[in-house]
Amino acid sequence: MLVHLFYAAMTINFQQIYAQVKDIGQSAKERRIQKEQAQTTARRLLEQYACELDSLRAKVEAAKAADPNLRCACPLDETLASSYPPPASVSPAVLLAADGSQINPDRHAAVQFCLINVGAIVLRGGSGAAPEIHTHSQLLYGEELETQTGTMTERLVALRRDLKERSLLEELSRDEKGAVITFTDGPLELWGGRDGEDARAYQDALQSYLSVLSRMQAQGVVTAGYVDKPSANLVARLLEIASASVGEESILSNLRDYHPLRGVSDRWLYGEKAAPLLPPGHRSAVFGLQSRAEKEYQGRLALCFFYLNVGAEGHPWPVRVEIPRWVADDAQILGLLHAALVEQCRLMGSRPYPYLLHRAHEVAVVGLEEKYQVEQMLIQELRRQEQEVDDGSYKQSAKNLPGRTRR
Amino acid sequence: MTPIEIGRLLRAGTTGFVAGCRVAQLTAPAFGALVRAPLEDGYQIYGLIYDIHIEDDGLVRQLVTAEGISDEVMRDNRERRIVPVEMSVLVVGYEQGGQIFHLLPPRPPLSLDIIYSCSESELRRFVKAGRFGYLRHLLSAQGLPVSEVLSAHIQQVRDMTQDQAWVEAAIHEIISLLRDDYPTLMSVLGALSDVSV
Repeated sequence: MLVHLFYAAMTINFQQIYAQVKDIGQSAKERRIQKEQAQTTARRLLEQYACELDSLRAKVEAAKAADPNLRCACPLDETLASSYPPPASVSPAVLLAADGSQINPDRHAAVQFCLINVGAIVLRGGSGAAPEIHTHSQLLYGEELETQTGTMTERLVALRRDLKERSLLEELSRDEKGAVITFTDGPLELWGGRDGEDARAYQDALQSYLSVLSRMQAQGVVTAGYVDKPSANLVARLLEIASASVGEESILSNLRDYHPLRGVSDRWLYGEKAAPLLPPGHRSAVFGLQSRAEKEYQGRLALCFFYLNVGAEGHPWPVRVEIPRWVADDAQILGLLHAALVEQCRLMGSRPYPYLLHRAHEVAVVGLEEKYQVEQMLIQELRRQEQEVDDGSYKQSAKNLPGRTRR
Repeated sequence: MTPIEIGRLLRAGTTGFVAGCRVAQLTAPAFGALVRAPLEDGYQIYGLIYDIHIEDDGLVRQLVTAEGISDEVMRDNRERRIVPVEMSVLVVGYEQGGQIFHLLPPRPPLSLDIIYSCSESELRRFVKAGRFGYLRHLLSAQGLPVSEVLSAHIQQVRDMTQDQAWVEAAIHEIISLLRDDYPTLMSVLGALSDVSV
């Protein structure tokens, strides 16, 4: 009887999954061989084109003309395979990190609202003082949930959250003296809602975002986006373009389908366990980020990035750090950021990640319990004001039932 | 004299409670010290601190493996993060209607009730009420470092009140209470000799 109950409670057909897992296992060896071949080619291309920066830039330009959505690395003035240690000594800087969390609108809930919560932490290096913690919570309700094209979407909430993260950093850094470094988790580029029904709201948010970045640049406040375990293979894509004969019409017209290095990741290129391109603490060359966002992030705000091995000897861990061009062009500021990130990651021991980013996450994160509390506060206030409060959906009510039907 | 707040109540039962405090408050409570939790209408509960502990979490576990933690990060973890110091308290009596009882209280304190350390006069008043009845709770408690708590408590009374006669009377009472439990008696007397009472 117990066995029957157990099987009745299962939601996955494990017989089917088992067979599929076995198939994956059987083809793993073949995939590994293909991947190793691609990796060998990638290494060869990296050596071949390491110093061919002008030629690579020309190839990227030609490829961009064929595919305006091309997303890859574009070399600046450092050779492809170069690596740089952090500066031997740097003056203490003021470090600021911000992270955000949100409660998305839920049409199944009794009341419609959403919440954007952004936490920031300010650590004044060398001061010996406890860091300052700041939290900004914004509740959106009623008309605030309406947009020009409908109602607030999860993408728009995320967009507002990202904008608030950076603008809070800008506000907090205004009165700081000396070198100031700010960072957030994720890319520096504003994501989400570029296309489709949220496009207009995205453009509005983007203009505000660019203003914030400009003000930070005017104040000399360093800003960076930290991407842990990056999945974009920007340098590998550059090598693919390098390997293509871009004068050849057939390749240009099918550039999107041209992936001779499929399976080669930037993480592998810079952090191969046996022979990482970057020793611990070293950064890679700084690259320009070729993407369709280049029209929006122009001049000194153009997006650039480098890889940084925050791991230890025998355990490389390359992360991507996105910076604006004005930071990339100033060796002293770049060194300061580099040293600060290495030091921040070192604090976290065997799982390196910037300490302050983790703290900002701790400050900002909104849990289910808090969502429930805010919802109850809203319901109580509306009832106190003799307003009608809807019920939650019956679908959600059924899902909340305990026992076998709960998922 | 302003009472010294040492924390607030986290959880409680009839025989004991746990209080939490910030690291900045940690200079006030001491192992073996008498504390009180005032409730309403002169009703308050007395207890002895028998354990002070600090919980870890995932971040702290990662930080301990790092070298050269800066003062700023140290203070961040001690002052800004929500990792309270916890004090376990054994209930040894209560006060109601102006009278002190060395009995278990009718009701435990409630969440977030403020816990104060006892002043010299409060300590003197509690320990001299009745005939050492509160020692019974301590000696019968399970899983506590009884000898150490007892010696720390007697040392506190001696240091704060300078009442050597009370100390001698207390030791006589302990010998009497433990006359049938030789191992515990030896342990208690050994601990008391270490604090030269």
